[in-house]
Amino acid sequence: MTMPIPGSEAFSSRPVDPGELARSLPSSLPVHSVTQEQIDALDPLTYEVVRHRLWSVTDEMGEALKRMSGSPIVTDANDFDFAISDELGQEVQVGLYNTMLVGAVDLAIYWTLRHRATNPGIEAGDMFLTNDPWVGGGLHQNDVMVYQPVFHDGKLFAWTSAIAHQPDLGGVGLGSFSPAAQDVFSESLPTPPVKVVRGGRLQRDVADLWVRRSRVPMLIGLDLRAKIGANNVGAERLHALIEQYGPDTVKAVMKRMMSDAESRLRAKLSALPDGSWSATGYQDQSHEGDRGLHKITVTTTKTGDHLEFDFTGTDPQAGVINCTYAGMRGGVMLALLPILANDIPWSAGGLMRCFDLVTEEGTLNNATFPAAVGRGPIGPAWLTGSLVAECLSQMLDRDLELGRNVQATCCGTWDTAVIAGLDERGEQPAPFLNILMEPMAGGYGARPHADGMDTGGLFCIPLGRVPDVEMTEFLYPVLALWRREVPDSGGPGRHRGGLGASVAFTPHGTSIPMGLVLASAGKAVTQNQGLSGGHPGNTGLDVVARRSRVAELLAAGTMPSELAEISDTLEPGQNYASSYLAPGEVFSMTWQGGGGYGDPLAREPQAVARDLREQKITTAAALAVYGVVVADGEVDETATAAERARLRDVRRDRSRVTGRTGGKADLGSARRVDDNLVEVAGGSGTTIACAHCAEVLGDTADGPLALAVYEGAPTEAGPQIVATAADYVDAEVVFRQYCCPSCWTAVSSAVVPADHPDHAATIGRLTVATG
Amino acid sequence: MAYVIGVDVGGTFTDAVLDDDAGTVIAAKSPSTPPDYSRGVLDVLELLANQLGTSLQEMLAETHHIAHGTTSSLNALVMRNVPPVGFLTTKGHRDSIFIMNVEGRYLGRAPHELQNVLGQAKDHGLVPKRHALEVTERIDRDGNVVVALDEDEARAAIRSLIADGVAAIAVSLLWSFRNDVHEQRLRELIADEDPGLFVALSSEVSPRIREFARHATTIMSTQIGPGLRDYLGALESSLRGNGLTGPLLVMQSNGGAVAAAEAPASAISTVGSVLTGGVVGSAALGRQLGHRNIISTDVGGTTFLAGLIVDGEPVRDTTTVINHHPINVPTLRVDAIGSGGGAIAWLDSGGNLRIGPRSAQAVPGPACYGGGGTEPTNTDANLVLGILTERGLIGGRKPLSLELARQAIDTQIAKPLGLTVEEAAAAIYAVQNAQTGDLLRKTVVEAGHDPRGFVLYAFGGAGPAHCAGYAAEVGVGEVVVPLGPVASAFSAFGLASSDIVLAAELSDPTVVPFDPARAEHNFAVLEQRVRDGLERQGVRFETVELHREVDMRYAMQLAEVTTPVANGPLDIAAIEDAATAFEARYAELYGKDAGFREAGIQAITFRVRGVGVLPFSPELPLVPGATGPAEPAATRPVCLDTRRGYVDTPVYDYRELRAGHVLTGPAIVEVPTTTVVVPGGTTGTVDELGSLTIRPDRREDPVGSA
Repeated sequence: MTMPIPGSEAFSSRPVDPGELARSLPSSLPVHSVTQEQIDALDPLTYEVVRHRLWSVTDEMGEALKRMSGSPIVTDANDFDFAISDELGQEVQVGLYNTMLVGAVDLAIYWTLRHRATNPGIEAGDMFLTNDPWVGGGLHQNDVMVYQPVFHDGKLFAWTSAIAHQPDLGGVGLGSFSPAAQDVFSESLPTPPVKVVRGGRLQRDVADLWVRRSRVPMLIGLDLRAKIGANNVGAERLHALIEQYGPDTVKAVMKRMMSDAESRLRAKLSALPDGSWSATGYQDQSHEGDRGLHKITVTTTKTGDHLEFDFTGTDPQAGVINCTYAGMRGGVMLALLPILANDIPWSAGGLMRCFDLVTEEGTLNNATFPAAVGRGPIGPAWLTGSLVAECLSQMLDRDLELGRNVQATCCGTWDTAVIAGLDERGEQPAPFLNILMEPMAGGYGARPHADGMDTGGLFCIPLGRVPDVEMTEFLYPVLALWRREVPDSGGPGRHRGGLGASVAFTPHGTSIPMGLVLASAGKAVTQNQGLSGGHPGNTGLDVVARRSRVAELLAAGTMPSELAEISDTLEPGQNYASSYLAPGEVFSMTWQGGGGYGDPLAREPQAVARDLREQKITTAAALAVYGVVVADGEVDETATAAERARLRDVRRDRSRVTGRTGGKADLGSARRVDDNLVEVAGGSGTTIACAHCAEVLGDTADGPLALAVYEGAPTEAGPQIVATAADYVDAEVVFRQYCCPSCWTAVSSAVVPADHPDHAATIGRLTVATG
Repeated sequence: MAYVIGVDVGGTFTDAVLDDDAGTVIAAKSPSTPPDYSRGVLDVLELLANQLGTSLQEMLAETHHIAHGTTSSLNALVMRNVPPVGFLTTKGHRDSIFIMNVEGRYLGRAPHELQNVLGQAKDHGLVPKRHALEVTERIDRDGNVVVALDEDEARAAIRSLIADGVAAIAVSLLWSFRNDVHEQRLRELIADEDPGLFVALSSEVSPRIREFARHATTIMSTQIGPGLRDYLGALESSLRGNGLTGPLLVMQSNGGAVAAAEAPASAISTVGSVLTGGVVGSAALGRQLGHRNIISTDVGGTTFLAGLIVDGEPVRDTTTVINHHPINVPTLRVDAIGSGGGAIAWLDSGGNLRIGPRSAQAVPGPACYGGGGTEPTNTDANLVLGILTERGLIGGRKPLSLELARQAIDTQIAKPLGLTVEEAAAAIYAVQNAQTGDLLRKTVVEAGHDPRGFVLYAFGGAGPAHCAGYAAEVGVGEVVVPLGPVASAFSAFGLASSDIVLAAELSDPTVVPFDPARAEHNFAVLEQRVRDGLERQGVRFETVELHREVDMRYAMQLAEVTTPVANGPLDIAAIEDAATAFEARYAELYGKDAGFREAGIQAITFRVRGVGVLPFSPELPLVPGATGPAEPAATRPVCLDTRRGYVDTPVYDYRELRAGHVLTGPAIVEVPTTTVVVPGGTTGTVDELGSLTIRPDRREDPVGSA
């Protein structure tokens, strides 16, 4: 950890009160606004027509950006976004691409209004550029935002913005990522807002200053043009809209879109019982050489129509796995948008009024300058989102209708591998650098009514995609031995988590070793947690097969399909590592699927048989994890019932019971808490009981629930635990399961460090002291 | 006498258009007859013969050719009503069709579905895993055999598929378009086991790089090939039995036809035929009217289809999406962009007025149909506004209920919003037009064009009531509603006017500047394939045109752009010219300076399109000229503009109109199959082909969106 640098705090942007921000602006910067009366006076016809037009303007901006961009991370992985904001920066309409960026856009505009309005001034024809994650706009320095004030009649009317991940902006490591960075000075230089376009003209000096830092300056120049182009499209269409409907009407619609989204989210929250939910997750290793576990913890409290996310207790910033405040807020949005706002237009400015963040400075997801933040979005911001999603899912699980959006945790990171070397297949050898995109095909979490989506993608990039193997082999000197879904990688549960997948490459068409840089998490401790007793999905696993036999195998007319066939020297890739891959060797990646939902012993046996037929699970897992006996493709009902009873006995025999249960409750008037627990109102207060056997496990007021607990080796969670924790971290990692001590249904199943806090024992608590 | 007949088999109706070489054009319509659609084809041909006053046999004996478009293959795919097929692919890569590049989760979903991530699904049941088997073999990107085909293993896989009762086998291996030796050998091995089994090789169906789309294309082609073969075989033999001697042609997605006997082998190329008929018809009509740039809009009860014609040629695409899979098939670009007459108006949970995309479908239909529908639709709003009357269409037999329409709008929209029923109906009409305009603009702009340079054509039952409105929203000045003899069968008119079009393509990814000899060789192979194909059609062509194209892209950028290439022999300069043409087109599509020349240009897929121009194609006949001014049949209060409210509006009976009549808006024209709105501030002119052209009235300022 490095000491905070005096003077750097001026660059930390935070949400502001819009009224206060407006009052702070100099008289040289008049802004256009409307009164509440004008907003209320909108007729439904005009509102809907202008709202739809604003949507189509954003859509056109995104299309322009995507088509013009030259970075594969934009064109293939869709790691970009764009927005239209009101005069003060509040987001009116956002794109559907990287949803974490939504939490950062407005912060940069607020900062710009505060620090650029007087000098150098904010004027028509200007565009600003920033890649300072403390200011906002992006989550790490590779996220670059170009944004412009749109003026009408001399007044600041709105802002358009376009953000995209850039492949390299300098720093020690290729792609601006250094797995060993100790602070931000080893990474790309953060650039606070600078005026890159002035009076409609690209400022050559600023543009040069910008591209000069990169290993691929021409590409950076192209993407700068793409973002400018997207903003131009946005401004042009916005002006046409103002022309047709008048500035006041358009602005009133913009304001109402936000208040409409806000009131709809508030209405949804009001309909839910108040309560408090906690979740804690980990990143294993903070940088190259580290063997620690680093936790983020959140308590989500819903009171009335408002949410509070309290991250107090999160570990101090460490290594490269930090993000700024913008990253934490982006992580919250990654969960909130699809889970709570799936049916509400994404007028993010309104949605973000419905929650507060409580956080300590200098922690993993609120890092203080000069912490390294290169892994910000994919590490801590993402984990923040996964944990918030876990809390929101528990909140919604109480409600049958809203429970349709409950989901166990999805693939918890983007397993990153960069290869770089010499392509010798053409007439002239050519250097190449490629970030392997395949691990974007992660699995989704299981849900109360459905299995998780197999290789559904990354939850934070709804429109992501992975390239075809042929395109990868055309562009880079590699041969893919396989690219396949991994059976058993989805978390077991009453509903199974979606599968993750695996790919194996061997160099093909190059005679010298290629560099290999790795960055990932979720190998020692799972990140794709199950819900309601569902098990976590698989751990990730990267392996380099040294002293490999692959050349001989291929020449002999065989195509290996397992690493064991290829080599006896299988080297696990550390989460953060700089390594190499030599000709004749094989590099294999296995990335995360999603977590399971509900007790796997409660899974419909026919669903297990179908999973076997479709090779989503193995025969061994059907028996050991699901307790289902399948012979010749048919479920043996009797043997299955016996095996499941036996497995419940095993749970009973190995568990330790804490507290005392309170006999059977009358479930006639019980209210759902989750898949296993109900709340029963009785004479002496409200109690929590098992939904399956009616045993009373405690009351809602105090003390932990009377649950049976077991701790064992991580592999007892199932065959999806493919990595050995001790290969990565020093801390002890366990499989911890809580069961109903009467019917032995699992209510929580997790792979966690031995000192993981007992959130399971407080499931169903409706109120927790927040003071 | 010689006839050309176009037959368009839709889900509900089978339409036919016949023309002869003496200027007669007639149309007929008959119910479709699933599952055996060939009966409906014979029915509609019988109706044509009746109109000609001759027998079916005599008519068919005089028929030069029949061009036939069918929706049955597409329906079979969309409804998953296909037989089980097997899939053989490269070991280690079977899951390509299950991983679907992740995009299978969202491809083909409407904009409003995209943000509802948790409402999406990715398992589309293309084939079960037990029918997707791997064979040991591997070819690399340069076409070298890295691992030879394991024939014993392959035989075992083939036997297990056959034992499981598959109706066909799709073979699609990695890099097969660079070296098809293993795919060819697998075909032989399959033939050894079952010589009659339908087999498709990806190197023939779709020799294009990117395995996921190639696999999916080959599999779907296999799923519909046997059915198409049986259907066309039966249809052709019954037509032959009734005296047809000329060829039976089948329409393809590329806007051209192919001989029925040739169609099953590349069955996938026929799936879009029904969608493209309207665009081909617009192009044909455009030639007669002298329009070079046309937006073609076909609006039915549930769908809104938009196509583009630029400089006289339909805009093409190389890929389409079926059941959330990318499918490699050269096609006319037709976007399904929104909702038709049956789209439902509703209030979202924020109390905002929304329209569509949900539709009332045929059952229960709009509230005013009295079929039990209680949700208000565009049609209900149009009835309340006076655009439609309770009598219904003048050619229809279905009366409409104003009371039910008012009731639906009142309860669902007007009361909650505090509006009158009339205000709510006007809001629905205006919102529908504005949103259609937004979506239409998206289609045109994404194709790289400015809508203001286009004429808009509107057909289909629900288009003409709205077209002037949505055209104004996108800045199009001139709207043509084709109303002559083929108005109700415009797509069949397109079929009758089509030529034979065959395309052959091959991916050979390479970097510009590439060896002209290599390119020349690729084109020579493709041209030979197209010439052989045209030869097999059994038709006499006026002329044969061959067009060379290559799909190029900037090395680091996503979008591939189809670029024309000069006819051979190619030299370095010709390659440079192609690259220059690519850059120009790229700039047109994505903006000046959008290209990244420094990263280099790649040529990905070479293609030859062959057009066999048929001896004659239909021209619409002239309608009689007007002798006096147009007389309205009636007037009724109609609300077309919220700012003006209900205005007594003249209503014209189209059957009484003549060429040269000019109607001053606001006016309503009732046609047997549709109703046309001529808004205030515009005029409607009947041209010599019977079409109604709506233009801004120069004497008055155009009025907004109504």
